Amino acid sequence: MPRHRRFPFRTLLLSALILVLSVGLIAFSVYLLGLDREIRGRFAGVRWALPAQVYASPLELYAGLNLRETDLVHELGRLGYREDPHLSGTGTYQPTRGRIDIHVRPFQFWDGVQAEQTLAVSFDGGVIAAIQRVDRAESPEIVRLDPMLIGSIYPSHGEDRVLLRLSEVPALLPAGLVAVEDRHFRSHMGVSLRAILRASLANLRAGHVVQGGSTITQQLIKNFFLTSRQTWRRKADEALMALLLERHYSKDEILEAYLNEVHLGQDGNRAVHGFGLGAQFYFNKPVAELQPHEIALMVGLVKGTSFYNPRRHPDRVKERRDLVLAVFRDEGLIDEPTYQQALAAPLGVDAGRIGGAERYPGFVDLVKRQLRGQYHDEDLTDEGLRIFTTLNPRAQEALERNIVETLPELEKTRKLKPGTLEGAGVVTSAEGGEVLALVGGRDVRYAGYNRALDAQRPIGSLVKPFVYLTALERPGEFGLSTILPDEPIELRMPHGQLWSPNNYDKELHGPQPLFRALAQSLNLPTVHIGLQVGAEHVLRTLRRAGYDGDAQPLPSMFLGAVGIAPLKVAQMYATLAAGGFQAPLSAIREVQTKDGEPLTRFPIQVKQTLPDGPVYLVDWALRQVVAQGTGRGVYSTLPPDVVVAGKTGTTDDYRDSWFAGFSADHVAVVWVGRDDNQPTGLSGSSGALPIWARVMRDLNVQSFDPIEPGSVETVLVDIQSGLRADENCVDAVSVPYLRGWAPADWAPCANGPVNPLEWLRNIFG
Amino acid sequence: MNKKTFNLRSAAIAALCAVVLAGCATSGKRRVWSEPEPAVSSRPTPAPSPRPLEQGPIVERRGPQPGVQPAPDFPRNAEEVSGSAVTSLMRQARSALSAGQPAQAASSLERALRIEPRNYFVWSMLAKTYLAQNNYAQADSVAGKSNALAHGNVYVELENWRTIGAARQAQGDAAGAEAARERAQMLEQSLAERAPQ
Repeated sequence: MPRHRRFPFRTLLLSALILVLSVGLIAFSVYLLGLDREIRGRFAGVRWALPAQVYASPLELYAGLNLRETDLVHELGRLGYREDPHLSGTGTYQPTRGRIDIHVRPFQFWDGVQAEQTLAVSFDGGVIAAIQRVDRAESPEIVRLDPMLIGSIYPSHGEDRVLLRLSEVPALLPAGLVAVEDRHFRSHMGVSLRAILRASLANLRAGHVVQGGSTITQQLIKNFFLTSRQTWRRKADEALMALLLERHYSKDEILEAYLNEVHLGQDGNRAVHGFGLGAQFYFNKPVAELQPHEIALMVGLVKGTSFYNPRRHPDRVKERRDLVLAVFRDEGLIDEPTYQQALAAPLGVDAGRIGGAERYPGFVDLVKRQLRGQYHDEDLTDEGLRIFTTLNPRAQEALERNIVETLPELEKTRKLKPGTLEGAGVVTSAEGGEVLALVGGRDVRYAGYNRALDAQRPIGSLVKPFVYLTALERPGEFGLSTILPDEPIELRMPHGQLWSPNNYDKELHGPQPLFRALAQSLNLPTVHIGLQVGAEHVLRTLRRAGYDGDAQPLPSMFLGAVGIAPLKVAQMYATLAAGGFQAPLSAIREVQTKDGEPLTRFPIQVKQTLPDGPVYLVDWALRQVVAQGTGRGVYSTLPPDVVVAGKTGTTDDYRDSWFAGFSADHVAVVWVGRDDNQPTGLSGSSGALPIWARVMRDLNVQSFDPIEPGSVETVLVDIQSGLRADENCVDAVSVPYLRGWAPADWAPCANGPVNPLEWLRNIFG
Repeated sequence: MNKKTFNLRSAAIAALCAVVLAGCATSGKRRVWSEPEPAVSSRPTPAPSPRPLEQGPIVERRGPQPGVQPAPDFPRNAEEVSGSAVTSLMRQARSALSAGQPAQAASSLERALRIEPRNYFVWSMLAKTYLAQNNYAQADSVAGKSNALAHGNVYVELENWRTIGAARQAQGDAAGAEAARERAQMLEQSLAERAPQ
């Protein structure tokens, strides 16, 4: 009976228990399935948002290139090549007298792969004499070095990485990582009870957490979900996910994911993830070229990137690195000589630059803006695009150095408060519209206000060439020797006030030939000419040169009361440099997918927007600016035989100091002023000019030597009268005119038409 | 009249200096110009290659220009004026173009232009590459750029005017195409006249 009575109760209990268990099991299974879906989705789906990688233009090596041995060594250093007499791997070089041997890295360029190769580059007095392959009989005519990685476009949450495949990684890296972080990685199922027990024991003994029992799989999951909360629930989830992950993926897949996922450092708000970017960030080279001591350092970093920040705590990191090296040796991963060698090696962390790939924020800013029209933000931050830019690191260095060094000099000589001057500059190619260098402020590493793109400061006299160009397009009215009045002008403005411009020196100079008025940057003749051709037409010329702002056609424009950013000024002067052919400025050449498939090209585009003849005349006058006008100062820096053309610009009360000009191969624009728009006391000649001249000197520019168009003829002219001259005239100059419009009448100083026989007598008499 | 006499005199000076260079140099009456920089050197005047500025009505000078004499020594192909690196890049471009890969060709030509920005042979080929990509506006412009740099080289200008003609034709600009064809014909003719009979 009692049994009979107890039976329903026990059955009930059992049933309930089974029910609860079943429900629990189902719930748990559902939960597991959820975790499974989550982890698989994370792992297999869009595994990583891959920031676009931004590359500088590659250095092309070919016989005849103006490049000194020291320049090439400098370039190789910048690319993270190291000196190695055996050229044992890619990214090594060996200089000997008159020759540099280089083991060039392979690289997937836009137009194909350039395989790794060993080259002998021989020099002859500052020029590359020959390039030969050491490892093969035939030699290439032209070889590209791999381009420098100059930045990446990472999303707002700041995760940046360079994707790696396990096969590209030196074997020591994964092996060493396993040895240090998770010795039983190859055998456990995702969770290691042994490790947990060992860690618990150690922690108990110490009284606090000294050791983690997490496997590499668990660490990967922890990294995936970006949380370091040490709750039991989180830990249980991690363990479960680790078990699930191991069921779906191979050990190598998990290890590869770990190599790409692990957090290795912080650079401002940019998080450095993965060993690919880590190698760039700390050692400025691809992961394949890491040496044992460098691998050990990075493996050691995994334990804690801020505690073991190699740039901040080098001693602490050295200790950790050596400990890791000892593990490598004990595990038989490296032999004793290698171990000893690695111990003796310095840390080798690239200290010259904070934030490895964030070197040229001003330029990368321009790249982003140019891409914004064509790509969605997510394309740029997630798809791992490879962006090949026009940046020329040598030009960029020259521009940065001369702005950074000259501004304090100016402050000192002008007794200005240190740090008050700001500067910006742009260097472009003379033909083809490539932006080679860009500086947005004197703090060149600061990714903030980009003055080269955004500071629309009045351009002052930089506008004058366009006023004169407008005039020279009317050959019946104006030629370079046309005599202009230098007289006071008063104008009633639309608002009723009187405008009475002055020359900068507040003096009157008497009638001047047109080209000299430009060379001396006289205001009154310019206003005179501007009024004659009309502000509408001047504005139209500015637009044809590349200006795209919304300035009003007012007379004040003739003296440069138009705010234009340095980059746009460079665009306008580049049109003058290229004989009237405008090439829209571009910072990008090509875009590739992450797998190296060509995606977009930004081809050279040209269009003749200004007529060749008048542009030739203005360019001639701009050479006079530098030869004898307000730009003379450039020859205290540039060699006298280098011909350049340019223009100074100064605004009211010396608030803005500009210089813009070009050689045969480069256009450069420099602005100096203050952010609060206060006067600096600097004119175009005293502020921006010295920077410009130094940049052009360092670029080793080619003389400006335009081709005279068929529409132009050159004749000898007497400067006093603006009429034809002959050998009797003292003040005679060869001046170009539009064909058929040269002065026909002879100057008083000339004898006029002479009997040829008498003339012969003169010569031989 | 004045103009003419002056030209005559210039010619006489040049001729005399060439013949009696020593006499000229020692005469003590050699004329010294006080210009601030060397005079722009004169060259055999080629037919100016007018290009329409912006999209105005196309006005081109018809008929042979007075005094046009194609100089016999214009380089006929790029190899004569290009460095070995540029020659090699042009070779790559040529084979890419014939393999139907104009983008590849353009990429090689742009590399060449970075080395020799004023090599009109490279610009001329770039124009053909644009034509192959059906980018007619650029084909027209780039060929014009080549003309502006060509120093009157008839061989290159002939190629360029053919490119321009084809580009304008494809854009539906019949008058422009016709004008370009006339220019090309004129250049062909001048070449034929020069050819040894």
